[in-house]
Amino acid sequence: MEGIKAKPSWLHGRALRAILMSIVLALLIALPALISKSWLNITIEILIMALAACSLNLMLGYTGMVSFGPAGLYAVGAYTTAILLTKLKMNIVPAMIAAPIMAAIIGWAVGWVCVRRTKVYFALLTLAFSQIIWTIIFEWYAVTGGDDGIVSIPTPEFFFSIANSYYFCLALVGCCIFALWRIVNSPFGRTLQAIRENPDRVEFIGVNLKRYQLAAFVLSSIFLGIAGSLYCVFSGSAFPDYAHWTKSTDMLVMCLLGGIYHFSGPLAGSAVYTILAKTLSKHTMQWNLILGVAIVLLVLLMRNGVVGFVSEKVFRKK
Amino acid sequence: MTLEAALGQALSGISLGMVWFLIAAGLSIIFGTLKILNMAHGSIYMLGGFLCYQVTSTFSHIPGVFWLALLVAPLVTALVGGCIEILLLRRIYGLDMIYQYLLTFGLILIVAEVCKLIWGVGYNTVAVPWPLNDTVSLFGLSFPKYNLFMIGMGILVFVGLRALIGATSLGAVVRAVTHNREIANALGINVPRVYTGVFMLGCWLAGLAGTLTPPMSVVALGADVSVIIDCFIIVVIGGLGSIPGAFLGAIILGFTTAFGLYIIPKLAVAFGFILMIIILIIRPRGLMGEPD
Amino acid sequence: MRNLVKALIVLGLGFALVAMPCIDPAPAASTEKPIKIGFIHSMSGAMSMYGISSEAGAKIAIKEINTAGGVLGRKLELITRDDKLSAETGLREAKDLILTEQVDFLTGTISSAVALAISSYVAKEKKIFIVNVSQSSQITEEKWNPYVFRINTNAVPYWGYAPAIALGKTWKPKKIVSLGFDYECGKNSLAAFKEKYLELVPDAQIIDELWAPLGTTDFTAHISKIANSGAEALFLACIYGGGEIAFTKQAYAFGLYDKMKMIQPCAGDVETWSDVKKGDPYPKGALATCRYPFWAIDNPKNKAFVEEHKKMVGFWPSYGAMNEYVAIHALKKAIEKVGSVDTEKLIKELAGMELDTFIGTVLLRAYDHQAMMPNWYGIIEFTPDLPFPHVTDTHTIGAEGYHTIEQIKNLRK
Repeated sequence: MEGIKAKPSWLHGRALRAILMSIVLALLIALPALISKSWLNITIEILIMALAACSLNLMLGYTGMVSFGPAGLYAVGAYTTAILLTKLKMNIVPAMIAAPIMAAIIGWAVGWVCVRRTKVYFALLTLAFSQIIWTIIFEWYAVTGGDDGIVSIPTPEFFFSIANSYYFCLALVGCCIFALWRIVNSPFGRTLQAIRENPDRVEFIGVNLKRYQLAAFVLSSIFLGIAGSLYCVFSGSAFPDYAHWTKSTDMLVMCLLGGIYHFSGPLAGSAVYTILAKTLSKHTMQWNLILGVAIVLLVLLMRNGVVGFVSEKVFRKK
Repeated sequence: MTLEAALGQALSGISLGMVWFLIAAGLSIIFGTLKILNMAHGSIYMLGGFLCYQVTSTFSHIPGVFWLALLVAPLVTALVGGCIEILLLRRIYGLDMIYQYLLTFGLILIVAEVCKLIWGVGYNTVAVPWPLNDTVSLFGLSFPKYNLFMIGMGILVFVGLRALIGATSLGAVVRAVTHNREIANALGINVPRVYTGVFMLGCWLAGLAGTLTPPMSVVALGADVSVIIDCFIIVVIGGLGSIPGAFLGAIILGFTTAFGLYIIPKLAVAFGFILMIIILIIRPRGLMGEPD
Repeated sequence: MRNLVKALIVLGLGFALVAMPCIDPAPAASTEKPIKIGFIHSMSGAMSMYGISSEAGAKIAIKEINTAGGVLGRKLELITRDDKLSAETGLREAKDLILTEQVDFLTGTISSAVALAISSYVAKEKKIFIVNVSQSSQITEEKWNPYVFRINTNAVPYWGYAPAIALGKTWKPKKIVSLGFDYECGKNSLAAFKEKYLELVPDAQIIDELWAPLGTTDFTAHISKIANSGAEALFLACIYGGGEIAFTKQAYAFGLYDKMKMIQPCAGDVETWSDVKKGDPYPKGALATCRYPFWAIDNPKNKAFVEEHKKMVGFWPSYGAMNEYVAIHALKKAIEKVGSVDTEKLIKELAGMELDTFIGTVLLRAYDHQAMMPNWYGIIEFTPDLPFPHVTDTHTIGAEGYHTIEQIKNLRK
């Protein structure tokens, strides 16, 4: 019998992954010196959407809960910070901390109702609630500015430099993603994945299904709230469309594009989606057609997303 | 509000509801049998509207051209639906719901762009066909005959669907496949063909609705997205997969809209969603749906 | 096979990801750098006819100017972006235009939310932004900053004061019911109309206010309530576009146009009504305001403009096109007067400037940078000169339709 050469595949994969991650980290830190201001702007947007998509994936990919309404909680975070900064002239730190707290509260209330049901009914409930949030934002002119939105949000001078904004974003998003990483790799995270695989069996071994699903919902809402708050500070504005179901669909597409069964999936998906959207819409008015066709192809041919595909072929993981 | 005014408002509510029913009926059937949440249903409805406009303007020299459109446009949308089902949907049955949601969402984008490329960005109108371009005096209102016609069509479609599904052998086959796909397959029923047929029927209904609304409204981009959410509300309230449920849900939504104007106009926008949530919590199968 | 396709897709995406940031438009090789104007509008979707028409208006002006030698020897260049009617997208495009494309000016927008977002952004970047369609009065009143100009009428006269003044000069009904789209424009429109009309006809009453969600196309329930309301007249607040056509068809079918007087500001909009023919339902006898009745403007330059626009995009020009045309020429005039593309100097020059339009000169008011564009009003009817229904027997309402400087001072406090 021939000797089996080469290192075990998992070690090969791990070392390669560590090297790759260090390169990416170094690149990220050096980015402001490497690319133009406008691309830095795009990168900030990618980071924020990556956080949002990752939060969504905690429910979607890890717990198997398909939500059609993440944008609702994202908008709650954005508007909380926006209103506190403009109407109450609060300092930026408490204004940004309040966002995930508010998102957690509303996420808890909405989630409590939604987890009473499963599958398509759960999804429709999340859709209905996010549309109600949209309606409240749209109608409550006195507080939210209605369909005019909130603009010219006062932000500290620190953010006037794009490089500063970028590093702040990178740091905050980095911490949140690290936190999410720890969550999914903890016993709690493993329970969530078990729930995804076989909810009935998980109940049989005495786990309170609804409590875990609600926890996933609330955790997801917290990080979505942070993402929304970040975007509001970065763009200086908040609009009702932050809560619209089409924005939720953008987040779902990012997750799917990257791959919902891998932690880095949503990160990759967010990057690819944002860059394509930005560059293609400059060169063609038929961007929607291309996006539609891309989504259809994605669902038919590449269900595991980019990361899933690369992971399968390059790292030989299943 | 006088009794007469109340009756007039009720009639308006029914008229609103019947239009919604025509669109929602197709969505309900598709979900009931194929278990697919077809986001692109509104797109097929919008396509039906554009086709109606195309037929009535191309053949405008033919008297009664609208009736020709009523015949032709739904058939075309049914064919389009057939192509979609065979080429795309067949590959994703049995997959997680998110893939169906995203695929049909992708279709929304594609159909909207194609409509824009073919018919442009303006507003298009279709004339009310003879002999319906007149009014009838009812409850102190001059109620347009065309609205009464639409109410009649809604009832006709409802009765026709019930008869088709409930009383014909074809309907029995559909019911069998809806109940249990595996056993129906084992009994020799060509399940893929039934799926295609049901999807085409759903698209035919959407195209019919799309052809009936233009004389009383406008044909334009944007109808796909604005109509789909209302349809989901109706279908959820009535019960996913139930035709009588869709009918009931549509009437309820029509009445709440019509009478909401008198009572709490502010809340009118959110009322549909609130109803939807209440139903999903206390009776998720809807008012008339099958238990899970 | 499947895997090959997947591999190609991933490779393609990977390449795109790496290559895209490196591909930025090469700088122009010409000796004289062109003056770049960033144009942001709704170029796809339901409102895109305004965007396409406005772009045509700008292009016609630019062609004229460039053929005559440009501005200070430099050609004008228009870079168009689609805001998809979303403030987020519009803001992103504005950032890109200013930071990457390095445009000298921004112009455009139809959505007021987009205009407000861009407006606060240009104040930071210190670039001039000329609004050509967005109507919200806040853009030049409460939320104004010196970098924003509006060469267009705004919501106060168009949706509110002008119909009220017109109504006060014609029918003077005492019992009015209103129907509006339930969003800011609708609410503000009704408020402005009420304020002005009750000032002119103090014993009049708005006996009921009805609202429909934005985007409604089935007004059956509202119409039956209106028909039973006992009002003499109906005022439409911000019901425009597809919703307006649907409303008109339904109201016409219900005989509402014969039953009561209709005040329908947007019925004068060519963009909405240009496909309606004689025999179709139309706003019969309605009192309408109009922002650009090109058929009523007897000026050879105007006629040439209308022809050129039709040739370029295949439909009649909207007021957006006219406004962009005026705006581009205004920029030329200001730049030539000042002698350079210096934003601060140009702001001083533009404020208070007399704009050249097809109906003579119009003041670009210095206090709020709002051009005193006239609003026309008239009765909607068919005439032999045009295939679509339009305002006939037109009169104009000028600066008296706008908020006074005093009123704006109070709003800005």
